[in-house]
Amino acid sequence: MRLSSRKTSRDGRLELSMTSMIDVVFLLLIFFMTTAAFVKTEKQLSSAIKVEESSAQQTPRDLEPAIVEVLRNASGKFVYRIGSRDMTSEAELSQVLKQFPNKEDGAFVRVTDDAPFAMSAAAIAACRTARFAGVSYVPLKK
Amino acid sequence: MRLSKRKRTTSAAMNMTPMIDIVFLLIIFFMTVSQISEVNKTPVELPRESGEDVEQPAEIIINITQAEDYIIASKPYDLGGVISYVSQVIARKSGNVGLVSIVLRVDRRSTSRPVNEVSAALNQLGLTQVRFGVQHKEL
Repeated sequence: MRLSSRKTSRDGRLELSMTSMIDVVFLLLIFFMTTAAFVKTEKQLSSAIKVEESSAQQTPRDLEPAIVEVLRNASGKFVYRIGSRDMTSEAELSQVLKQFPNKEDGAFVRVTDDAPFAMSAAAIAACRTARFAGVSYVPLKK
Repeated sequence: MRLSKRKRTTSAAMNMTPMIDIVFLLIIFFMTVSQISEVNKTPVELPRESGEDVEQPAEIIINITQAEDYIIASKPYDLGGVISYVSQVIARKSGNVGLVSIVLRVDRRSTSRPVNEVSAALNQLGLTQVRFGVQHKEL
């Protein structure tokens, strides 16, 4: 009959069973490895922030910088607007921005308060994808 | 004179104690670090865009929820609170705004109103660069 829970070898030395310890350690390791795989990776979009300047402060340029506006059109639908052209999809916006001649002066994304942020982020991402020198986020005053 | 016939056996016993020490130390370290980094991130549905920059550590992470609340380090703030929080961080950096990096984690279902408000406020504090948190499209 075994009276003691401690294992002792015949020569009287105390022996610790490491098996259970290693089981627990590996279980913890596997748990953390599995849960770490479910963490969503985040990326970031760099943008400058600017406030609208008065027209007197703006210096005239030969080529106008790209100005993408995210606003509600006459029919009440949110669109991306470059000049007088309205676009409804991000793909269409990307296509137009890629063909834009002046990329050195950067792009300006002007956003109204009521525009969905998903569209604002899409406009910034489209400008970055079109390889503009810089992208500026400009809150659009009503 | 040797009386016993029993041979002395030399067992190759591995000392597991330092290994277990290190493994537990690593587990506790990673658990703590992951808790600290997650406390700054409120769960929000980020816009699904292919951001070009990998996630970099930021001095301030401003979370904007679908309900358009500002949350910094798990604490809700109003716009005035956000401004004073950022001002304090700038003051801690001896007024050097270049050392203050800001990430805006905005819920994609939110409107742009809180972003516009906070952008204008940050601009007045002298901050000219922000990074928007996005989630990769494939996810």
